[in-house]
Amino acid sequence: MTARTRLLDASVAQAMSALSAAAKRGLGDPALAELVVIRASQLNHCAFCLDMHLRIAREHGVPERQLDLLAAWEEAEGVFDERERAALALTEAVTVLTEGFVPDSVYETAAKHFDDAQLAHLIGLVVAINNWNRVMVSRRIPPGGHTA
Amino acid sequence: MTTHTDETHTDDRTPTDRTGTDRASTGRTDRTDRPGHATAGYAPEHTPRLAWAEQAPEVFKAMIRLDAAARKGLDPKLLELVKVRASQINRCALCVDMHSKDALAAGESVERIVQLSAWEESEHFYTERELAALALTEAVTVLTDGFVPDAVYERAAAHFEDAELAQLIAAITVINAWNRFGVTCRLVPGHYQPGHK
Repeated sequence: MTARTRLLDASVAQAMSALSAAAKRGLGDPALAELVVIRASQLNHCAFCLDMHLRIAREHGVPERQLDLLAAWEEAEGVFDERERAALALTEAVTVLTEGFVPDSVYETAAKHFDDAQLAHLIGLVVAINNWNRVMVSRRIPPGGHTA
Repeated sequence: MTTHTDETHTDDRTPTDRTGTDRASTGRTDRTDRPGHATAGYAPEHTPRLAWAEQAPEVFKAMIRLDAAARKGLDPKLLELVKVRASQINRCALCVDMHSKDALAAGESVERIVQLSAWEESEHFYTERELAALALTEAVTVLTDGFVPDAVYERAAAHFEDAELAQLIAAITVINAWNRFGVTCRLVPGHYQPGHK
């Protein structure tokens, strides 16, 4: 598979990186951030992003069992704690917007586990990985070649 | 709720009910002309869930930078068509409000904005280039339904040279980002005025 194009304006890429970094910093939980980013990339079918973030997740010590079961986290009892589950539910709702807004129950559950600032950064992180997913899938960037 | 027969006329609206009648006679909507003032008979305005930009100022700053970077080199009218369409698909009320108004301010016609939600059936309102951009907007926006089809990408590539196409993809990505903040934080539409960002 070859990329359709590798063009991406440098100032666009820099702003996207700044967005990701600010969101991740504000959330302050690198392992959770990787779970969120990988789940969004699964939903958006971004091979490049999955490859990159699975590697980063392992470097951060995210358990293999969590990575194995992330695609079925709702059914994986005992593998993810309540805070992780709240973040993953929010990740799915914010990523799959076209199926109907972000339900109150999903938002409120997240708001119970994250304060306003953390929640704003968590939402920012989901937005940021959705950005990367879109520019990578659209240009069909093959997996690999990143510097994780 | 009401039985619409002449005999039982239980509809609780009366001739003095201001809803609709004033707006019909003046041809304006209060909500647009006097932002912040509720219109009698309309549902109350909701409150936002979260002031995300205040809670995550560095994230907001990066979004502003990204927005500015992604619009470089793109025709403002085309950009607004793309932004309105993505916002419709993602159902971001604030973004629909903002970008429909921005499109009008950029010289867009009401007709082309109205037809945008059915653009595939109203192709003669748009240029081939705009149609290619709209098809790409849909594919990049609804990513979860499966990638960006070759036909859609190639159609866009036939109308936009490489650097411009990269900017178009970036612009579609950025409006999707604003849509996600807008919907998730349930930001309130109706108050936007073009030129007062």
